[in-house]
Amino acid sequence: MVQFLVKRFIGLLFVVLGVTFITFVMGLNAPGDPIVSLLGQHFSPEQYRALRHVYGLDLPWWQQYATYLHNLFTFNFGLSFQYKNRAVSDILLTGVPISLELGLWAITVQVLVGVPLGIVSALRANTWVDTTNMGLMLVLFAVPIFVLGFLVQVFIVWLDQTAALEWPVAGWGHPWQYTWSDIQFRIAPILVYATAGIAYFARLSRTTMLEVLRQDYVRTARAKGLVERVVIYRHALRNAMIPIVTVIGVILGFLVTGAFFTEGIFNIPGIADITLSSINVRDYPVIQATAALLAVAVVLGNLVSDILYTLVDPRIKVE
Amino acid sequence: MDTQKDQSREVAQGAMIPPSLEPEMVSMDEAAGIPMPVESRKQEGLSPLKEAVQRLRKDKRAAVSLSIVLFFVLIAIIGPPIYQRIGGSYFSEIDQKAYGPQDYHNYTHQELDRQNELPSGQYWLGTDQLGRDILARMMQGVLISIVVALLVEFVNVTLGILIGVLAGFYGGWIDQLLARFADLMFAFPGLLLIILISGIFGSSADTAFSKIPFLGADGNARLILVAMGLALTAWPLMARYVRGQTLQLKEQQFIEAARTSGTKNTRIILRHIIPNLFSIVIVASTLNISGTIVGEAGISLLGLGVRPPGSSLGLMISNASQYIGVYPWEIIVPCLVLALIVISFSFLGDGLRDAFDPRSKD
Repeated sequence: MVQFLVKRFIGLLFVVLGVTFITFVMGLNAPGDPIVSLLGQHFSPEQYRALRHVYGLDLPWWQQYATYLHNLFTFNFGLSFQYKNRAVSDILLTGVPISLELGLWAITVQVLVGVPLGIVSALRANTWVDTTNMGLMLVLFAVPIFVLGFLVQVFIVWLDQTAALEWPVAGWGHPWQYTWSDIQFRIAPILVYATAGIAYFARLSRTTMLEVLRQDYVRTARAKGLVERVVIYRHALRNAMIPIVTVIGVILGFLVTGAFFTEGIFNIPGIADITLSSINVRDYPVIQATAALLAVAVVLGNLVSDILYTLVDPRIKVE
Repeated sequence: MDTQKDQSREVAQGAMIPPSLEPEMVSMDEAAGIPMPVESRKQEGLSPLKEAVQRLRKDKRAAVSLSIVLFFVLIAIIGPPIYQRIGGSYFSEIDQKAYGPQDYHNYTHQELDRQNELPSGQYWLGTDQLGRDILARMMQGVLISIVVALLVEFVNVTLGILIGVLAGFYGGWIDQLLARFADLMFAFPGLLLIILISGIFGSSADTAFSKIPFLGADGNARLILVAMGLALTAWPLMARYVRGQTLQLKEQQFIEAARTSGTKNTRIILRHIIPNLFSIVIVASTLNISGTIVGEAGISLLGLGVRPPGSSLGLMISNASQYIGVYPWEIIVPCLVLALIVISFSFLGDGLRDAFDPRSKD
């Protein structure tokens, strides 16, 4: 077990190194000089050299990469270009709790809605219930998230105008607080963000449930004369949950970091939003830090799912 | 015991790709499994391909999707020249000049005293906030989507087959390299990579590609970057499917027969392996197209793809999103068109998969 985890960990380290290296090289070769744009129009060569030195841009590239990596492991991401004298970690810390909240709520909704839908479909496989359900899920999965987001906003505006509601169209309220007004802010973005995943979980649980229902032990359970309810909920469902539980970790890693459109459309100041705005102003320290953060989140998600995988299914022993 | 593990493992790995973080890069087949070769075919004397086509014909959902896709392709190509011949001349108060339909039905033409109109005889789908014809912009946007999809699939299929076959057939270091690279690409949020590429190198692309006809002109230059980014994130998955299929094919008897009769490896690959990849490549690339189209629209929506005066469904959505409260019509049109195209491609891919591999249904 320990050996397996160590092996996985080294593999994941490789992924983080790869991702940081790609973002680093891109930042290095990007057109435009961030120092010039920082200094504005009037500056002397001395000022230029001094500021370049502060940001460490006068070193050869491999030295810059080494410092960058070193800083990464000590959680020191350097200074932002955009907001002078503001540490990158400081900027990220404002966004992480919000993105985490959005991601956690989204996955909760996805599992609680998607899995039952999939199970229902599997139990009535190839009837009209199954076909309609899976057709609907395919539509939900295919609809681009920003199309869904904007259409929901159009709907909210229309509701506000016709029914004189004052439902917020965008924004997030106070992170991790749940007064009525905060909840109002949250419902639309969470539902929009969760939609594609609901469809995914429905599809996944249908497939795994069908797989399990074909197994010998289900037939044995039926042959023993067990009530269908017991066969399904005791024997089949618990085994069908195994792949679903293990997937959750991976998905959470992506959910927390991948909300570019949801955060953009609903004006949610999470990390994806921070990433986008720093790309627009070419704030490379922030871009590099967020890219590393995203990679680490995804990689951690993978690791969690590996561990869950061995915990949930006692038949599987990791060699 | 072992097979049990492998099966569940497959499902877990299949989900390596983010399902719901903006669905662009993902295809539904992650959850359902991509078709694997059918070993036991019915002995009816029909070739597998003909059998598949027959099954596809019976699939009404796929047929409807295919006709929607064809309809939009047709609209994008022959729509503009027809639309620009319909309508009388219009006297513009601002320019003090008469315009024919070839002008005011052009997707870049602005008629500043005809802003934000609802559909009329002159403007079939109304006008946007700059007085441009929404139908004309929509048709150009669909054309852009198709062009990007073709570009991406060309690179995706070429690279996927090349690397996938080599990795599957020879194994060794190229296989290792593919596995590592695929791991890296699956962990790297694809959208972020494309955003980074087009965000950082966008302005250089504007000047570098300005000489290329159609793709370089009218603010479309960054599309090449976007397409490159989309292809870069797509091909490892394709290569993986191809590799898996190649591994299975390699063990089959007709390959063994070819080998015993002294056929060279290159010939085996070209004549026996690649033709048998047809179904898996077709299904995987159709499913990938919807992701590609959403990807392009999304990047343009963020302001990193097509730029004015060009048009793209994403750009239309982005422009109209500032007036959601006042002119909801302008955002509803591109949103619905995009959703319709993407959903059609998904259903089509789904139908193709069922047709090529009937077992995948449950």
